[in-house]
Amino acid sequence: MTTSPTLSLADAPRRARRPSTSLLTRRRRRVGVLLTVPAFVLVGLLIVYPIGQAIYYSMTYWDGLTTTWVGPSTWWQALNNPTMWRALENNALLLLSVPFALAIPLAVAVMLHQRVAGWKVFRSIYFLPTAISWVVIGLVAEHFFAYSGTLNSLLGHVGLSHVHTDMLGSESTALIALGITFVFSTIGTNTMIFLTGLATLDTSLEEAARIDGAGSWRIFRHITLPHLSRFIQLAFVMTVISAFSALFSLIFVMTGGGPGYSTTTMEFLVYQTGFNQSQFGTAALYGLILFFITAVVGIVQLRLIGAKD
Amino acid sequence: MSTVVAPSTMRVTSARRRTVTRAAIFVAMVIMAIVMLYPFFVMLIDSFKTENQYLAGHGTSTQSWHQLTTTMPVYQQLLNSTIVCTASIAIILVVGVMAGFAFAKLQYRFGNLVFLGMVSAMMVPLQAILIPEYVNVAKFGLTNGYLGAVLVYAALGTPFAIFLFTTYFRRVPDELIEAGICDGLGYWGVLWRLALPMALPAIATVTVLQFIQIWDDLLVGLLFLQNPAERPITVGLAALAAGRTTSIPQLMAGSLVSALPAMIVYLGFQRFLVRGLTLGIDR
Amino acid sequence: MAEIVFDRVQKTYPGGVTAVTDLSLAIAEGEFMVLVGPSGCGKTTALRMVAGLEEITDGNISIGGVVVNNVLPKDRDIAMVFQNYALYPQMSVGQNMGFALKVRNVPKAEIDRRVREAAEILRLTEYLDRRPKALSGGQRQRVAMGRAIVREPQAFLMDEPLSNLDAQLRVEMRTEITRIQRLLGVATIYVTHDQTEAMTMGDRVAVMRGGLLQQVATPQDLYDHPVNEFVAGFIGSPPMNLIVAGLRERDGSLVLSFGNQEVTLPASYRSSHTLGPAVGARVVFGVRPEDLQLATGDDHVRLDATVDLREALGSEKLAYLSFGDDAGIVENEAAAEDGPRRRRSRVVARLGARADVHEGQRVTLGLNAAHLHFFDVDSGASLRDGAHEARS
Repeated sequence: MTTSPTLSLADAPRRARRPSTSLLTRRRRRVGVLLTVPAFVLVGLLIVYPIGQAIYYSMTYWDGLTTTWVGPSTWWQALNNPTMWRALENNALLLLSVPFALAIPLAVAVMLHQRVAGWKVFRSIYFLPTAISWVVIGLVAEHFFAYSGTLNSLLGHVGLSHVHTDMLGSESTALIALGITFVFSTIGTNTMIFLTGLATLDTSLEEAARIDGAGSWRIFRHITLPHLSRFIQLAFVMTVISAFSALFSLIFVMTGGGPGYSTTTMEFLVYQTGFNQSQFGTAALYGLILFFITAVVGIVQLRLIGAKD
Repeated sequence: MSTVVAPSTMRVTSARRRTVTRAAIFVAMVIMAIVMLYPFFVMLIDSFKTENQYLAGHGTSTQSWHQLTTTMPVYQQLLNSTIVCTASIAIILVVGVMAGFAFAKLQYRFGNLVFLGMVSAMMVPLQAILIPEYVNVAKFGLTNGYLGAVLVYAALGTPFAIFLFTTYFRRVPDELIEAGICDGLGYWGVLWRLALPMALPAIATVTVLQFIQIWDDLLVGLLFLQNPAERPITVGLAALAAGRTTSIPQLMAGSLVSALPAMIVYLGFQRFLVRGLTLGIDR
Repeated sequence: MAEIVFDRVQKTYPGGVTAVTDLSLAIAEGEFMVLVGPSGCGKTTALRMVAGLEEITDGNISIGGVVVNNVLPKDRDIAMVFQNYALYPQMSVGQNMGFALKVRNVPKAEIDRRVREAAEILRLTEYLDRRPKALSGGQRQRVAMGRAIVREPQAFLMDEPLSNLDAQLRVEMRTEITRIQRLLGVATIYVTHDQTEAMTMGDRVAVMRGGLLQQVATPQDLYDHPVNEFVAGFIGSPPMNLIVAGLRERDGSLVLSFGNQEVTLPASYRSSHTLGPAVGARVVFGVRPEDLQLATGDDHVRLDATVDLREALGSEKLAYLSFGDDAGIVENEAAAEDGPRRRRSRVVARLGARADVHEGQRVTLGLNAAHLHFFDVDSGASLRDGAHEARS
């Protein structure tokens, strides 16, 4: 064994490096692949493959019995279908509730974050409605908004009985009722998200600002809010996607899409077209449009988050 | 001299103001709690009435509860929901833990690509694949029996589970895995004997979230469990609501029954929920 | 036969970075071999290749006479102690220590026996039922060792096990580890960046730098006969003073000149070193801090210097000096991972505890000219005859 004084790398003899993959590395790769196969198969077969199928179906005329390939012209037809546009319009209107679905949880989270006595109990309570089915909430909401329902009796107690409405029976207000219920249901989730965000905020920042003389509002605006921006974005994406896909249960139970088409959103339209009207091809197409919208929202958000970081 | 006096008066004022603020916050939280608990009040109160009492606006009785089991096969439906939930969650956990560990620690060619694919599958809304899904499932005769619905639920819940598990397993120190390797475990053994016990919080989180998701779901149950004997409770409830002759108190009773299990699971596991979400979001 | 042999081992990562180049080293049965060097020198990579946790790009590693390049870690009969201990958090101390045996289906009675024995050696008996998170850093470190001992392997591999402990614990554990290794007589490769650990613990020490083995020898040998500038400056604390000086012939003697000083070399250096080529040019010479003292009457070589800084350590005083007002080029090579780096710094003298020096003082130093080291000014290699012969 020689001692090698300051050999420089230039002196090292050149040797053909035979590509060697150690046994351990090979095993690691093999086990890695094997462990992902079940997920790959499950998700691939049941989620990815059907997307391709949906694209195919969307271009057929199919009434449940016979399938006729029509081609992309179905897409033009759909674009000309006023019902679809109505549904999209409803979705868009519902988006107006998103700011509320973000602002209220934010306020609640800030409140909880103050750690006033019993806040943990309150936190559990606020999340409870999220734990129960939208079907249940929808039933209760229907009861609330009905003509003989609680809303009206409350108004009556306050002396506003002349304002009695039948929110669910009138085209112009049904969607609003839906929106309110939607906001109610998402308060729990978003509060949780914001609370998590607040918990990760470094208190020393806040303390430093207080020493510098900043008031609570200023601290909120310049320290708390910027830190929460990541969480607000997450909540925003989740709420929007929820608004496009999760309202089915509410609509089914509260209004059935009506009156007229005033509460028919895209996610309900897919069901209606496919299973009530047996137009599978068109329904598949609507489903794809829905996917397109949520994908765009997701990607746009990713870009925004990526750009900021 | 004034500088000596001012601090003490300032302190007193802000202490008082702080108490007032805190009291105000407490009141606000209570009000909020009442609002959030409103559905439960409604369900509780209205379920303990008869139809007539409900219409009249007062009176209590347990009649609607008794009648519930005749109007709706509650126990059967609860059982169905439980079966479907348990089976789906079992699949999600097993598949998710395996894939999560692999993505986190067992790098292989194109592995990152597959991971990306999994995670983006999270964004696919059910409605987009609903039609083809239904067609496929019907073709294999799986609309009878639980398997069809279970597979669909499992497929829908797996991407998020993988996302959470991968994030969680990434935190396992490589040294720990190497120690296991040196001690004689294969990677399979490392997963089940070393990594898994450390992932219990993540498992709890996924379980709670998926339980709520699946138990409360309507659409999949509606389409994939059409056999009345296999209906989950949400579908049963919705069917009841759509019927013409349904009494509201019974509906409320049914709702309460449906809501209870999810509430219990949530309350029981909520510690893990908070921890798990913190891990997942805070990356 | 628990001998570990590196045979021209090379490790190159897929990106092209070479961590270990042409490493050949043999560790005898029962020997405590320390791999030491600055971060990035390849010592940990070399260790991990013995463990089987890193692929060997080229060359062979054999354990007990068997080439193990394609043998899984678990089949190599080695036990590793990790830097961060890698204790299984959900198992108790006893379970952690017995785990490897359990995996191999060793009978429970045997596992218990070995665990108890190891716990006694390490004084962990009362902690056997505790979880790692309820233990202190030093205790965890001992559990990590216990895990290795229980395996009764052919070799121990230790990856900087003491670097996460505070200074006092480190000193304590140093002696512990040495004691246990002597007791068990198992061949050990010990990786560290701390040259004090290397010097106090190793039977032999291998100094690495930039992926290349610089020198392997007993601690004393490394100290007295460093084979190049890097080793000379790395081993020993405070480090050896390395000074670039001009070398001239004058009146039949060799004279070193640096700063505003001149040193006439004793004639013996002509025969023991190859200084010929450097005459009329420059050479790097090294002198250990303890070979510079305050001049007494009978010192032959006297140097005038100014005390820039003084550190009183209680047991000794360190004086940082400079020669002449900045005219002298006093260069001291920092222990750098890549190429040689020379920075201006001061000469250090290790003076007695009662030496009377203070900052700003001009002093006369006596240089012990019998213990000078000479290195080539370009390559850094030692100029001593016989320094590069194959040894042990």
